Amino acid sequence: MRAAFLSVCGLVLAFLLLPVLIVLCFAVNPDPFLAFPPSGVSTRWFVKFVTSRDFMAAFGLSLTLGVATVLIAGTMGTLASLALLRSSLPGRRALTGLFLSPIVLPTILTGFALFQLAMVSGVGRNPWILLAGHVVVATPYVMRTVLAVLANFDRSLEEAARGLGATPAQAFREVTLPLIRPGVIAGCLFAFIVSFDQFPVSLFLVSPGNETLPIAMFNYLRFDFDGTIAAASTVSILLAVALVLGIERTIGLQEYAKL
Amino acid sequence: MAGVVLSGVTKVFPGGTRAVDAIDLSIGEGEFFSLLGPSGCGKTTTLRMVAGFEAPDAGTILVGGQDMTSLPPERRGMGMVFQNYALFPHRTVAENVAFGLKMRSVPREDQAKRVRNALAMVRLQGLEERRPSQLSGGQQQRVALARAIVIDPTVLLCDEPLGALDKKLRQAMQFELKALHRRLGLTLVYVTHDQEEALTMSDRIAVMRAGRIAQLGAPREIYDRPTSRFVADFIGDTNILEGTASGHMLHLDGWASPLPQALPPGPCAIALRPERVRLGAPGAGLVDATVEEANFLGDAVLLKLLLPGGTAILARAPRETDAALLAPGAAASLAWRAEDPVPLEAA
Ligand SMILES: Nc1ncnc2c1ncn2[C@@H]1O[C@H](COP(=O)(O)OP(=O)(O)O)[C@@H](O)[C@H]1O
Ligand SMILES: [Mg+2]
Repeated sequence: MRAAFLSVCGLVLAFLLLPVLIVLCFAVNPDPFLAFPPSGVSTRWFVKFVTSRDFMAAFGLSLTLGVATVLIAGTMGTLASLALLRSSLPGRRALTGLFLSPIVLPTILTGFALFQLAMVSGVGRNPWILLAGHVVVATPYVMRTVLAVLANFDRSLEEAARGLGATPAQAFREVTLPLIRPGVIAGCLFAFIVSFDQFPVSLFLVSPGNETLPIAMFNYLRFDFDGTIAAASTVSILLAVALVLGIERTIGLQEYAKL
Repeated sequence: MAGVVLSGVTKVFPGGTRAVDAIDLSIGEGEFFSLLGPSGCGKTTTLRMVAGFEAPDAGTILVGGQDMTSLPPERRGMGMVFQNYALFPHRTVAENVAFGLKMRSVPREDQAKRVRNALAMVRLQGLEERRPSQLSGGQQQRVALARAIVIDPTVLLCDEPLGALDKKLRQAMQFELKALHRRLGLTLVYVTHDQEEALTMSDRIAVMRAGRIAQLGAPREIYDRPTSRFVADFIGDTNILEGTASGHMLHLDGWASPLPQALPPGPCAIALRPERVRLGAPGAGLVDATVEEANFLGDAVLLKLLLPGGTAILARAPRETDAALLAPGAAASLAWRAEDPVPLEAA
């Protein structure tokens, strides 16, 4: 029984990780084409990646967008969750569904809808509408984790704080926020990854000369197919892994990362 | 000064539950006052309105003569011990206790001193740096108490604070809480569904039923003179006998019980505590009954007897009672004094 379970887990893991391994192999392989086994180990593609002005500009934009998305989606998602769970707002259930809908909707639809909105309203495509798009798709991820921690939150803790002399704002700062913080941070992590990896929404909303890393990689791939793409992917993957590990080390994820 | 006065206090929850229905109460300063009643009768809601966590739909709440009805909880200056303790899990014991002082901007050195005093008061020292999750239930209870009293409240509210503790610990805490109350001289409003707890600790008890006060009085009064069947039933074991009153007698199935006072003729019910029923040789009492069951309680024997007509009656006999009377199937006579039965109001 146990052996069967372990081997199924192993298979699933292999299925998930094999593509990543192939990318890694490709990134360190000096050959300009996919070959196995690699003919050697080189940093050639990494060098090409970091010295490419286009890629670096795209990388910079993606990082900036990611951080801005985390700040906005993190704040909005947390506050929206509080409002939805705590207030007597009419239509709370419907609103919750609306806020979370970008998770279930195909992202390409969200992207296309935002594109149409930008065009019809005359705003056009620019980095701001791109940021707005990222915030729209990232906010539900924050809300998922924050709603989850809030649902398990014992309100009598806030009452205890109030009874001891805390104003509602003080009770929030001293008791609520520290206790929901792991959920907020996990949500922000998801938000960053959703933004940093975002393809469909960015595809519709990037303006020429302002490409994000996934779009720049896609464009590059259309004309060239060498290890630079693999190097760029490897950098993205390492960044995500570093983020997850960093957060796991500081606050722990297991309890709050359930989706 | 710090008495608590509730007038016409009512709480109707959305959905229509009248959790508290026009309650009038006057709790004296320094009094140990219990709200006692079965689960769902509105005790917690009443306490939460006094604390300010729930706004009454009608009525006023005065504390020390000052109208508190619309003050937020943080401006009422009361101490509260929650049923689940509500300790802050992300703070240490010392930080939990210091919270109220921090909110009052008490200087740091004073905070430390007062936290130490409060923890000494509840006899919990040496655990200052632990988190609540590293404490036993009894220790958590003490922290909750220390956190509530460290701010020197004039009124302390407790919602079934000992409910989660095992029997032995509960008894020990009852004594400590009572001693603490005497020492601090604060007004204590205590919610419990445990009649024994209310009887042993309180100066006065309000027995609640469905959002109203069924009876209010000192423990002895509530125990000895319940006015309604509900209170008689809720407070300890009791026998309820139904018959027809005429003058100083209550006529039952072919026998009669004396009454403490003359009652208007008509159907009537009395409450009679098992310990008031005396056993004797058959034919020597008011009525003869057959022993159905006898349970040894340690210091006494609780008997279930059948009266003529088949009604059961409980009697608590001292363990020295003649063994022949205690055996199942034995016949015994029952007797009590005229002042023992308590006539109940028509329910
Ligand atoms: N927040 C609430 N919303 C709706 N009904 C409630 C709420 N709190 C309590 N009630 C109802 O009010 C009644 C009294 O509850 P409560 O005061 O908690 O009783 P007790 O503490 O005596 O067990 C119960 O019927 C309970 O279901
Ligand atoms: Mg209750």
